[in-house]
Amino acid sequence: MKRITIVTERRLGVISEISESLAAADINIETIQTELHDNSSVIILTVDQYDKALQVINNIGMDAISEDAILLRLKDEPGALAKIARRFTDAGIGIRSIGLVKRDQPFAFVAISTERTAEALSLVEDVLVG
Amino acid sequence: MTNHLNPFEDCGLKEVHKKRLKRFLDGVQAEAHRFLGYPVSQQFDYSCLYPFLAYPMNNLGDPYTESNYHLNSHAFEREVLAFFSELMNAPDEGVWGYVTNGGTEGNMYGLYLSREIFPNGMVYYSEDTHYSIPKILRILKARNIMIKSQPNGEMDYQDFAETISIFSDVPAIVFANIGTTMTGAVDNLTKIKEILKQRVRTNYYIHADAALAGMILPFVDDPQPFDFSAGIDSISISGHKMIGSPIPCGVVLARKNHVARIARAIEYVGTLDTTISGSRNGISPLFLWHAINQKGKSGFRRMIQNCISVANYAVDRFNRKGIKAWRHKNSVTVIFPKMAENVLKKWQIAVHRDIAHVITMPNISKNRIDDFVDDMVREAEQNDVIAVKQ
Repeated sequence: MKRITIVTERRLGVISEISESLAAADINIETIQTELHDNSSVIILTVDQYDKALQVINNIGMDAISEDAILLRLKDEPGALAKIARRFTDAGIGIRSIGLVKRDQPFAFVAISTERTAEALSLVEDVLVG
Repeated sequence: MTNHLNPFEDCGLKEVHKKRLKRFLDGVQAEAHRFLGYPVSQQFDYSCLYPFLAYPMNNLGDPYTESNYHLNSHAFEREVLAFFSELMNAPDEGVWGYVTNGGTEGNMYGLYLSREIFPNGMVYYSEDTHYSIPKILRILKARNIMIKSQPNGEMDYQDFAETISIFSDVPAIVFANIGTTMTGAVDNLTKIKEILKQRVRTNYYIHADAALAGMILPFVDDPQPFDFSAGIDSISISGHKMIGSPIPCGVVLARKNHVARIARAIEYVGTLDTTISGSRNGISPLFLWHAINQKGKSGFRRMIQNCISVANYAVDRFNRKGIKAWRHKNSVTVIFPKMAENVLKKWQIAVHRDIAHVITMPNISKNRIDDFVDDMVREAEQNDVIAVKQ
């Protein structure tokens, strides 16, 4: 089952906003899990219509991260991404893209896409979200 | 003859459709009056060029190559490119370019060229880069890493230095913002080049996204480094932003030797056209040519000085009302805290996180700034919003 991860601000009503939008598009939520951080919520969903759900979530102005990307929570400081990138290069895993998703001082959520997701996951377990 | 009550009276449509167009025009006119947050000028009049709209003008292919499609404006396009080449301090070996459909196509061209030159290169771009860039990188399947931004919107050079050290064996493709969308911050090309030199990086490519500032910095007395003399390899500038055009357009320029390299590769597939699209707009080069010949460099300089003067006025006006506003050197983007959101919507102000901006384009007068600031302060006071006081 493919997962969708949403990083959003921590506030009341986020879950209902997401579930109502998905319901309006006839998408069933199969599992939902929430992680609360300082000022952010990370919501992990599985749904019955993956691509359509990604689109609906983006349409309501939230960043939906597909299963192809690994979501990490790192210290928001210069060089933090570089240290993570080093782990992958040392292991010979090519990086497709690294992008900052959301800042939540003193941390930042970062999405990484690599050529070998399963192996990459094992290298970043200490900072993995979800 | 045009009916001024409904300019669509004689356009050969059913009454219902004519009325619909009129309502649409009325709406556009009303919205255009409150348009402070986006960097597009409304100060243009190209009506003398309207006769060309009666023809299927198409600048098919390379502007420097003869085409069998004669309804093109290649000759005018080449003059536009020559004007921009001079403004951007084109190197002696020359530059190649074309009139694009806007800044994004120019950025795509620059990144495409860099990826063709360095197929395994890593693209570095800052967090404040326009949202279209990750999309382009995905289309090009170019490997990329986002670099942190400083709070002022400029690239975090320490993060850049540490990140490129990790990929020392991979060519660096640097996407530099010459004026970010939200704050107008200019990435420091001198620092970027110093870092590349310190890290002994010889295989690198720098593309400059100068969508708005590409038509500002050539006309100020003390510009930040931004052009070919600062070591860039390609640059994208918007035409519809500072110059103004009813149709989005822009210019991309790249060092000729880079383009020659990809042209040789393309020759094997039977064409020397290195532009991104095949059919290209033949009207927008005429608009740009018209503006260039009507205003000239001295006219653009006066226009930019006026925009900067209005930007200074706006900063001062906000600050006098107790709202902390600021702008970067040589920028017409005035940043202030996000507040009074209904007013921001009404004036079509772009917001990002906790900031908003107005952009003092040529059509924005000091009176318009007064109206907006008064509106915002009134709304904030009504809603008991406390402005960020200095």
